[in-house]
Amino acid sequence: MNMQESEINEAFRAEVREWMAQHLTGKFAPLKHASGLGAEGYDAQLAKEWERELAKGGWTGLGWDTQYGGRNAPLSQQVIFHEEYVRSGGPGRIGHIGETLLAPTLMAFGSAEQKARFLPGILAGTDYWAQGYSEPGAGSDLAAIRTKANRDPATGEWVIHGQKVWTSWAHESEWVFVLARTEEASVPVASARHAGMVLLLVPIKQAGVEVRPIRQITGTSEFNEVFFDGARTDGALHLGPVGDGWKVAMYLLGCERGASTLGQQAHFRYELDLIIDLAKRNGTARDPLIRQRIAKADMGLQTLRAHALRSSREDTPFRVASVSKYAWSNWHRDLGELAMDVLGEQGELELKDPALAALQQLWLVSRADTIYAGTNEIQLNLMAERALGMPR
Amino acid sequence: MDLSLNEEQKMIAESAAVFLQEKSTTAQVRKVSETEGGLDRALWQEVVDMGWCSVALPEAAGGMGLGWRELVLLQEQMGYHLACVPFFDAVIAVTPLWKALSMSEKGLPVVERLAASGQICVLGMTVRGELPAAATVTVDGDTLVLNGQWNQVGSGSHADVFLLPATLPCGSLGLLEVSAKAQGLSVQALTTVDATRSSANVAAVNVSLTGAAVLVHGDALKKLWAQTRNLAAIGLAAEQVGVADRALNLAVNYTKERQQFGKAVGSFQGVKHRAAQMLVKVETARSAVYAAAFIADTAGDASDLTYFAAQARTDAAEAALFSTRESIQLHGGVGFTWEFDPHLFFRRAQAASQRLGTVEQWREQVAARLLDESVTEAA
Repeated sequence: MNMQESEINEAFRAEVREWMAQHLTGKFAPLKHASGLGAEGYDAQLAKEWERELAKGGWTGLGWDTQYGGRNAPLSQQVIFHEEYVRSGGPGRIGHIGETLLAPTLMAFGSAEQKARFLPGILAGTDYWAQGYSEPGAGSDLAAIRTKANRDPATGEWVIHGQKVWTSWAHESEWVFVLARTEEASVPVASARHAGMVLLLVPIKQAGVEVRPIRQITGTSEFNEVFFDGARTDGALHLGPVGDGWKVAMYLLGCERGASTLGQQAHFRYELDLIIDLAKRNGTARDPLIRQRIAKADMGLQTLRAHALRSSREDTPFRVASVSKYAWSNWHRDLGELAMDVLGEQGELELKDPALAALQQLWLVSRADTIYAGTNEIQLNLMAERALGMPR
Repeated sequence: MDLSLNEEQKMIAESAAVFLQEKSTTAQVRKVSETEGGLDRALWQEVVDMGWCSVALPEAAGGMGLGWRELVLLQEQMGYHLACVPFFDAVIAVTPLWKALSMSEKGLPVVERLAASGQICVLGMTVRGELPAAATVTVDGDTLVLNGQWNQVGSGSHADVFLLPATLPCGSLGLLEVSAKAQGLSVQALTTVDATRSSANVAAVNVSLTGAAVLVHGDALKKLWAQTRNLAAIGLAAEQVGVADRALNLAVNYTKERQQFGKAVGSFQGVKHRAAQMLVKVETARSAVYAAAFIADTAGDASDLTYFAAQARTDAAEAALFSTRESIQLHGGVGFTWEFDPHLFFRRAQAASQRLGTVEQWREQVAARLLDESVTEAA
């Protein structure tokens, strides 16, 4: 990085910080440091208003190409934005599924009409998206999905039957992207299990869709079960070619594992700093074993950062990139346990102080990290078979 | 922080790998460690001739003017191939001293005489990397008289020149150049658990030196030593990444071949998962080492360097210990034999884990910075 570049970046950092200080205040103040549903002060309607505020400030679609209304900001500035956003107490982003998962997939596979129809609403913070992938019988083995979609010969519309689970934010979303099987399969694919799929863009608020919240380990409901019983969507609202949905779905998952983790490390930093502050205040910072664990966590985060930087290039070997998800999810799970041990006996009580309650939430929420987007066990299989070439 | 390798760096790593694969086979390593006290003289000469020892020396001193990023790539290969040469003790650990000396008019000829000569110059430091102060220098007319003992000096039994710390008559510490052949200096070779490395107790009884033997002293030495310890830790971490990677590679290759219950044991999930966990440690530790080397080459802030050195050192030490232990386990019965190679790497990992301070000591250093008020950087 040359000097000129770093000056530009520092100016950008100051700009983000100033904007956040001016806007995350007043009616938005309760959202400060609220990570998401269940967190103190997190109100979904207010969070959506906040998304529109961000959009007005030009902070959505930061990395998007200008032809889609984005700012085409370099990766370094996207990272800076995430860092400063979290540092300023920016709340959990209700729009991130649309912005960081669906939008890039639309840009890669969508038709001109689809892009024109959906990207502006995502950018403006007016349309929210849910992810319809996992099913009761298809978690890590996503290719085992059974939800069916076929076109009604009379109307040309897609008609969907089946069930999805772990559908984040479905109750707050207008749209869901649904991975389904179709008998319309015409594209030959090497593995039959991966053939005949389609990724559909489906309106949630309709008679054929029922959303039932799932009460999670945290006691709150961010996820849902979603039942499709003859739900309909326009015949042209499949993303990518019919039958090739697996490829599109995998591209979208690639976005989940890549760019959308940018903000994650900034959030991890914030959580770790809460723990360090607490340890200093309550005296656990003098416990030699806790000291070791805090130092380990701190350096571990720096290692995650180094690894992300090392693997951020397009020509990163799979061997290097494949360890990221396993590494960060286990690090974060350990951090949750450290948080509870630093809380000590206080951790057994329901805590009102938002900073302390956030640490309890961290302990519970981080149990999901090693499960979603491919469980630890699946990640280890992938590494062994694909990165190390061990036999199946 | 750009942690990708440029073309020159890739070439350095690849050519080192190709060269050592041929010259430092485990058969050769075993021969050298069993019959030649852990030094492959011919290999050392080739390493010197190729200019690897002066990679990070300033061009003014006859070096290539590169940095820690290049040194860690070489050192990683040294670990991967268990090369029986004192690259750590005579290159990595003394390069900061050579760099400092080459800045002064008086020091530059010393660097040209010692660093570029192919002689083995080693520091008399403790295993933990501290600056020992027990030895003393007295003055006798124009002559300095050195007395003292330095224990477990890495590569000491093969050294041509020692760089020995001692307390000067004025009470401050000085680093003295002492020839291994100096009258009154005795070197007692030690038998080591990791026979690919040598170690010796060094004792001085009334060794006479001139004033020119004092290379650096006082606060300058303290500062240099702190920096040396951090930079050496990054180099050692690179070696441990190499060791960990090789142990992983041995395990993967073995479990792909070894059949049980009618199939390769490498197809069992219980085996695969352990290998993949080794991979996670190897690759994240490698990232940590590259980041630390980047900081070593670019940042001026000493406290940053301590933090990044600690990060690289703890990650790499744990990767090496974990990976070499698992490698023995994944080899099953033969992993317990002398004949198979995993124990060679296991021994190296264990020995290296004690050098320059343990994982726990590095972590405590970082904990103090994070958790205690008003911690000043240890000199």
